[in-house]
Amino acid sequence: MADKPIQGEKRMFMTGNEVCAYAALAANVDVMYGYPITPQNEIMHYWTRLAPKHNRTFLQTEDEISAGFTTCGGVMSGKRCFTATAGPGNTLMQEAMSMAEMMRIPAVFIIQQRGGPSTATVIYSQQEVTMTCFGANGEGLRVVYSTSSHQELFDYTIKSFNVAWKYRFPTFVLGDGYQAKMRESVTIYDPEVRGIKMVDTYPLVGLPGMPGVDRDPAHLRNTYNTEEELYEVVKDLVDAYEKMAPEIVEHSTMECDDADVVILCHGIVSRAAIEAVRNLRAAGVKAGFFRPITLRPFAKDALRPIAEKAKKLLIVESSQGQFAKIVTDALYGLTTPMETIFKPGLGITSDEIVNKVKAMI
Amino acid sequence: MSKLVKIALAGEGGQGVQSVAEIITEAANEEGKEALYIPNFGVEQRGGVSIAFVQISEKEKVGSPKFEKADIVIALSDRAVRRCAQYVDGNTVFVYDTAIEGVEDDLPKGAKKVIGIPAIETAKNELHPRVFNIIIMGAVIRSTHVVSEDQAKKALEDRLGYKFEQDPKLRELNYRALERGMQLVESQL
Repeated sequence: MADKPIQGEKRMFMTGNEVCAYAALAANVDVMYGYPITPQNEIMHYWTRLAPKHNRTFLQTEDEISAGFTTCGGVMSGKRCFTATAGPGNTLMQEAMSMAEMMRIPAVFIIQQRGGPSTATVIYSQQEVTMTCFGANGEGLRVVYSTSSHQELFDYTIKSFNVAWKYRFPTFVLGDGYQAKMRESVTIYDPEVRGIKMVDTYPLVGLPGMPGVDRDPAHLRNTYNTEEELYEVVKDLVDAYEKMAPEIVEHSTMECDDADVVILCHGIVSRAAIEAVRNLRAAGVKAGFFRPITLRPFAKDALRPIAEKAKKLLIVESSQGQFAKIVTDALYGLTTPMETIFKPGLGITSDEIVNKVKAMI
Repeated sequence: MSKLVKIALAGEGGQGVQSVAEIITEAANEEGKEALYIPNFGVEQRGGVSIAFVQISEKEKVGSPKFEKADIVIALSDRAVRRCAQYVDGNTVFVYDTAIEGVEDDLPKGAKKVIGIPAIETAKNELHPRVFNIIIMGAVIRSTHVVSEDQAKKALEDRLGYKFEQDPKLRELNYRALERGMQLVESQL
């Protein structure tokens, strides 16, 4: 193989989109398929600049429907592939994403959330949570990492390819326009120096030998004739997903043990929440913080005892309750009082959280 | 500098505020500090007020990318002056260009300090209009100390070195612009 694109480790200062392109390169991705949409365009731009130097490829398709399906096709041929999109592009790509759920296609999708509904803004939101976790017709059999920094964009983009290929569920890196466009420091690395081995890829179709004679047929179906037949298949998918869940579910917490108010948030909003908890603790207010890193599967078992112990919960998100729905579903039956800061399509600062928590106690 | 410095740089598209933000944050990163820079962007990218949100911290990673109130606001057009009032509170130093007309009543009342500097005029009469944003960069680093003068010059070299090679006078011009920018705020801080 040609020289490794990233030798050892290197501290860089760059945009999140650039980080994603470097991460895909480091993860040994073969092909990116894509269609431009702000705020993720530069993932494509950087990829097309970097990829040819390392014998990787890019295909620009005619739209996001095509970008989603070509990504699935590339994966079926045994290549490590991904695409990136946002907002209305995420909407158009849902059909391919649900096909990936049904056919267990380990495709990776990077989503940089922009404002919605519809065209809305090209800037920022957390309004693609429901769509990314549960979009299309199906059961949301996806892995979704909600990142909060450039370091996480790098780490989890690499991880996504391994989780996708190990468990064969479509895997998503859910960023946002802020993460896409801002610059901050990040340490990029060759996964091998961190002891990360990239999971081998293999073709899902076109295998050698005669199907049914030399080998079992590669039965990749997304169409079924009877209700019972489909039911069995979906049950198996759900079982496989639930078996995988405890192995990959991730969350992080801060100062929850004695917290009167636990702040619940995900993605970039957790940066404001961490700052808020620090400020509140300094002012003698017992605040804590819980953040799921995987939105799908969700860290329900970790959250419930924390939520039960807290005096109050505060859910903070840049959407009108999309994250809160996931949380309340996980906390069904608990009676801990809950308040919210919902700011659809708008950034949230630590001051807002601090003031709200102070008003709650 | 204090532990975390928040800067809002605002001007008209083409005045170069985004490049200044980029150069300063890169310089801070080179000095081992934690920097975060996010441009405001929208579908109106061409035309309209362009704002750069910059945060530089001694050591700790920066929190949320945008902030409510800035430690220093630099406003370089009439619209920028009006738009940036929202980032000003009692701890904010507000810097504007004295060549901007018709904003006397729009200058923030509650700021810690309001400083007028003749950057546009200095660029036009003493130096060259193209180094206007480097004058601004000088004003920013002198009022915040987020990076040293040496590091700022090194960052200019990193970014414009290839141009300096072709025409060494450009290096001189940029360095002088940086120094003039620092002087312009010096006496008023």
